[in-house]
Amino acid sequence: MASLGSSSSSGTEYIVRVPKNTSKKYNIMAFNAGDKVNCSTWTQARMERDMSARKIYGEEETPEGAAGSEFGKKQREEARRKKYGIVTREFKVEDQPWILKVNGKAGKRFKGLKKGGVTENASYYIFTQCPDGAFEAFPVHGWYNFTPVAKHRTLTAEEAEEEWGRRNKVVNHFSIMLQRRLREQTAGDEEEDESEKSTKKKKSGGRGSDLRIHDLEDDFEMSSEDSDNSGEDGEGKTKAKNETGKGKSKKKKNNDKDALEDSDDGDYEGLEVDYMSDESSSSDEEPEKGKPSKGEDLPKGIDEASESEEESEEEKQNEEEAKEEEEEEEAKKTLAQTEKKKKKDSSGESDSSDDSDIEGETASALFMAKKRTPPKRAGGRGSAGSSRTGSRPGTPSIDSAATSNTLRAAASKLEQGKRQTQGPGTDSPAAKRLKMDPSSQSPAPSGKTTPQPPSGKSTPSSSDVQLTEEAVRRYLIRKPMTTKDLLKKFQTKRTGLSSEKTVNVLAQILKRLNPERKNVNDKMHFYLTE
Amino acid sequence: MGNMSEKGEVNLTGAKQSNGVWLVKVPKYLAQQWDKAKEKGEVGKITIGKKQGKSQVCFSLNEELTSVGAAQESDTPLKVPREHPFTMNSLGGQTLAVFSQGEKDEISLEGMVVHRAECRPVITDNYMKLKKVQMKESLKLQRLSQQLERAITTVFKPVANHNFNVEYEKKKKSEGKMVRAERQVVLDMLFSAFEKHQYYNIKDLVDITKQPVTYLKEIMREIGTYHSKGAHKSMWELKAEYRHYQSAEEEEEMQTV
Repeated sequence: MASLGSSSSSGTEYIVRVPKNTSKKYNIMAFNAGDKVNCSTWTQARMERDMSARKIYGEEETPEGAAGSEFGKKQREEARRKKYGIVTREFKVEDQPWILKVNGKAGKRFKGLKKGGVTENASYYIFTQCPDGAFEAFPVHGWYNFTPVAKHRTLTAEEAEEEWGRRNKVVNHFSIMLQRRLREQTAGDEEEDESEKSTKKKKSGGRGSDLRIHDLEDDFEMSSEDSDNSGEDGEGKTKAKNETGKGKSKKKKNNDKDALEDSDDGDYEGLEVDYMSDESSSSDEEPEKGKPSKGEDLPKGIDEASESEEESEEEKQNEEEAKEEEEEEEAKKTLAQTEKKKKKDSSGESDSSDDSDIEGETASALFMAKKRTPPKRAGGRGSAGSSRTGSRPGTPSIDSAATSNTLRAAASKLEQGKRQTQGPGTDSPAAKRLKMDPSSQSPAPSGKTTPQPPSGKSTPSSSDVQLTEEAVRRYLIRKPMTTKDLLKKFQTKRTGLSSEKTVNVLAQILKRLNPERKNVNDKMHFYLTE
Repeated sequence: MGNMSEKGEVNLTGAKQSNGVWLVKVPKYLAQQWDKAKEKGEVGKITIGKKQGKSQVCFSLNEELTSVGAAQESDTPLKVPREHPFTMNSLGGQTLAVFSQGEKDEISLEGMVVHRAECRPVITDNYMKLKKVQMKESLKLQRLSQQLERAITTVFKPVANHNFNVEYEKKKKSEGKMVRAERQVVLDMLFSAFEKHQYYNIKDLVDITKQPVTYLKEIMREIGTYHSKGAHKSMWELKAEYRHYQSAEEEEEMQTV
């Protein structure tokens, strides 16, 4: 129809036709703005209905006729459904989603889901202009929203939940998929021997014995590893620094390259841990990660780290992060060595210098701090050696020492029960006197056989020791002692007398007391009975 | 565009030519009127003009299609408005394509949407009346509760013996008791039945063979097993030595070959 010339209006008029006989049904294919789809660039496209839902609705489990079937099963099932009022939705082909594949195998894929309610209250028409100038209007039959389908491998729902739970610990998320791929490869290798079905190869490689829940798994092949994954590989290797904290989950996964922090938010708050080593600033061990260090996790982190480091040395020989690992390893080695040394010293020794370390150190100063503390320890902790000689330590603050003493007290009390102990030859700065290992005592000349009861240990007589008759009497009542032992009790440093004087005074006291004598192991022991 | 394309292959000529189309939202009543159009399909005219720099589009319905109702009378009170200006909207970045599905499921891409429009009527009194009627229609409930003036007494009369029961008894009498047939005959019947299905209820077997239950059970105990639990609960199955079912898969294969 020729368009009529405009008469009254200022524009042009066109006739509108709604063709009646059209057999074609028009639908809308809607893409998201962000996907930047340009249909004119498509060279080739295929579109089919996605029939994967048919199986769900089919419910055709029992074979019909002959083997495995029951007589009258269908009727019974129907009667049962009617009885319970179960209404099953029919599988309508019209409502199934579309699968659109653009540009062949290597191109994009889209899934088109039908949008409901489009034709309920208003009708959509497509107006196209015909060559003769008139408009033709076609009603829109359905509206499908097309979204791109990921071709790269994704995690299943269960795996995703797992990873979500670990998101705070895992720093390098790129290696998650890599891990999965490696896991599947090993599983796939085993399965390949058993079954040779090539069509299912990729899938069986992925499944192993796990139950995987995937959309469209059965109908559509899972795409092979993309360049995405190879990209991830590259990234995975550069994550270098994060190998340290692995200790925990490492044992589960062989090739686990995930990086783990040792601390979770507030997880280790309130934990009382006996500081066994000097590496208080273990939290600072992850400086390169840039995460805030958690002060509470300190000793654990270091111990674990050193352990894991030893493990990792064996396992990770293929690693490429040579530089940084080496650095760390060296540092750790020195630490481990110093640790071992210190452990030998005294098991229950507190590290009061730890506290100062915790507060003072910054992340980058980690290694410096570590290297510094050993010598500092050696110096300040003359106690380490002093426990042997019985000299007093100089540095530690009293507060920390007090708390550490409680811990040590507990620890050493356990030891006391077993071992023989001598006089108060301790190094504890605080008032409490604690017994150390027999090794820390002087090589007991008298070879004491009677272990002192724990209760007797904690009498705080160490620092207030005065060479008085009363004191000597008390000792001798308690147990027989040689002169040497007595002298030990009244150490010159404590009493403030010189050694000569001490001897003299002690001799006088003994004369006055006139204790009884006993020969034990060829040594003269004095003792009193009251 | 006319060739038979492969199943699933999309005809992309529309996209390549970048045919531009309009997506127009049309009110229901107007669509209904358009359905009444004659064979040629002309429904009205579109006028595209420029007013103050913006293009104005207005659709004008043909006179003959304005009447609502079965008959083509134009003096019925209800008339659909004629003038419908279009409001043109932009797509907002969204890509909308149009594809068509033919009778034989061939799919072709018809074009890309360049404009969206909404067709609105010019509000007149007539239109308001029309809307009022429509609203009243939609307010009518699908299901109604109606009060009856008189109770229905015809259905639930007490009866000495219900019809159904009477018939049942008659049937029973005419058929008589089930007679035991020859053992071999019964076995044949059973075997042929078990060829069709693997599991049977005893009741169904009685129905098929028309034998008394005890007799039938005796025979079944000889040739079959009873499942008292699990799948196929309370069903009888032939013993292994008597059956030779092929598995369902093999059967399917045989069918396809």
